[in-house]
Amino acid sequence: MMNTSALPSMLDHTRRKSESDAAHPLLKVENLSVRFDGAPAGINVVDDVSFAVAKGRTLCIVGESGCGKSVTALALMGLLPTPPARIVGGRALFDGKDLLALPDRERADMRGNQTAMIFQEPMTSLNPVFTVGDQITEGILRHRKISKAAASERALEMLRRVRIPAPEKRMRAFPHELSGGMRQRVMIAMALANEPQLLIADEPTTALDVTIQAQIIALIHQLQKESGMAMILITHDLGVVAEVADEVVVMYAGRVVESGPVEDIFADPQHPYTIGLMGSVPSLGRRQGRLTTIPGTVPPAELMPRGCRFSPRCPFADQRCVSDPPPLIELSPGHRARCWYAPLELHREPIR
Amino acid sequence: MLRFIARRILIAIPTIIIVSVLVFTLQQLLPGDPVLTMAGEERDPEVLAFLREKYRLNDPVPIQYFAWIGQVLQGNLGISLRTDIPVLTLILGKLPVTLELAIFAMIIALAIGIPTGIVSAVKKGTSVDYAANVVALSGLSIPNFWLGILLIMLVSVRWQLLPASGFVPPSEDLWLNIKTMIMPAFVLGTGLAASLMRHTRSAMLGVLRSDYIRTARAKGLISRVVIMKHALRNALIPIITLSTLLFGELLAGAVLTEQIFTIPGFGKLVVDAVFNRDYAVVQGVVLCTAVGFIIMNLLADILYVLVNPRLRHAQ
Repeated sequence: MMNTSALPSMLDHTRRKSESDAAHPLLKVENLSVRFDGAPAGINVVDDVSFAVAKGRTLCIVGESGCGKSVTALALMGLLPTPPARIVGGRALFDGKDLLALPDRERADMRGNQTAMIFQEPMTSLNPVFTVGDQITEGILRHRKISKAAASERALEMLRRVRIPAPEKRMRAFPHELSGGMRQRVMIAMALANEPQLLIADEPTTALDVTIQAQIIALIHQLQKESGMAMILITHDLGVVAEVADEVVVMYAGRVVESGPVEDIFADPQHPYTIGLMGSVPSLGRRQGRLTTIPGTVPPAELMPRGCRFSPRCPFADQRCVSDPPPLIELSPGHRARCWYAPLELHREPIR
Repeated sequence: MLRFIARRILIAIPTIIIVSVLVFTLQQLLPGDPVLTMAGEERDPEVLAFLREKYRLNDPVPIQYFAWIGQVLQGNLGISLRTDIPVLTLILGKLPVTLELAIFAMIIALAIGIPTGIVSAVKKGTSVDYAANVVALSGLSIPNFWLGILLIMLVSVRWQLLPASGFVPPSEDLWLNIKTMIMPAFVLGTGLAASLMRHTRSAMLGVLRSDYIRTARAKGLISRVVIMKHALRNALIPIITLSTLLFGELLAGAVLTEQIFTIPGFGKLVVDAVFNRDYAVVQGVVLCTAVGFIIMNLLADILYVLVNPRLRHAQ
């Protein structure tokens, strides 16, 4: 059906494991909705988003720019710029506590401690006027009652763990003296310094050179294995998803359009948007014609259809898709798609 | 770093030479003849000729310039045509007064401008921000002489809290000295506070939007630390430069404010000298303030590099 044959071969996860862990998620996001001030009524940038991630597992959120991935992550961290962004609904249960309902101070106590985040832009994410060592040490001292010397020692150890060469020297370096890849390693060291239970990585490699990208992903993946933390990785690189994800959430225009175990998403994608995404990935096999692209672009908020938000670009859409929002349908255990016609092969003939 | 400072000083030298030429030639364009002023009512041609010869006013202008600058380089700024006191002595006499007023005014400006700038940036779009902006705009647009007169009327005349004018050296009576300085320093300081506030606000707004502020918050740091440490430290880089330049302007003397409060500083010295066609004093004072301003500029450049690690290492 599609051009994905090269990808599932990398998948080695077992379905059984994902089901048992999903029963006790570390973070359970339920119906999260975020609105921007000034957006048309009823159009949320993040709309009714739900997912869960268990200890030691990796959830990848995939989607094109502007689909609400980063806003979701920032909402979970309590870092949304308010105004204009406002959380208008939902819960985010972390160890049973609703993160979204916590008072500011308690939220800050958790940030950089139980939950940590690394960002897309390593070049601008470090404060230019403080040394790398000071910036890592500061985060440790914020959450741990230890001496300055001990915190500094811990920071140095973190620099070693993220494999920065000559870490003693780097402690005294200013951010501008480091390359992008090194800065992202510093960001990772900073995020993991307090051994968080959950790491949110928002496109951590997008701004880096291709050669560095794989190194950084491998580093994050390995550090996660060592620590057993849960991870939400936001990316639009399906190759990365295939490599590290246990679960995948596909977002389009603020909504989850498909979610499920990674092998299901790759082997049997059900939402036309997911299918389109897969078609946009070059495979290593024999070249078979042109890469598929999804025609059109995400509609602006004021033109967003009432029904399925993907309908203007969907080759299968009909009148119902435009007028009525489709429900998230469970197709197999854990695998859901938000499409009136899922599973597609039973309902629709491809229009080609 | 040392090389950078040396280079900056070298660049300042031609600037000072150009300034000295300008000061000298502009002076030639001033209407009025100093000899006529000096010679008094009779205007005896012999006296005029003698005075012209004595002050070498018959020489070509470039010769006059080199004669003057040669003396200046030896520390001799000439003698006041009117009072026969060496110009350097006059200037050194006024310098402490102007310096004291400038320092007082700067402290007031910083104490008002920076905190209000921070608050209005952090509370952007709220009533606090609007109030601070209205006050700052008033501070910028209210003329110093008007505010000065108003203060004298209210504080000195009606409430009789502070002396209306005059200057007492701190060596004579420190408390009275401070009391006479408060109002003029306040008048000068509020004007500068307004521009400092506007600049602090915009610098803070720019910094608060940056990614590293989000990182600081992601570490769990509380707002006070994020704002006062991570944001302010970056926002202050342009503010330090601006403050240094503003201080340089204050050193040039505040003509109107000094007149209103009858403070014997540079401003008053230069105005009196212009009215009396006392060329030597005008030249001396203008040259001194210009050099002072260039030095403050130099200091601003050096400070900018010192507080900015990206530049400090690049040098």
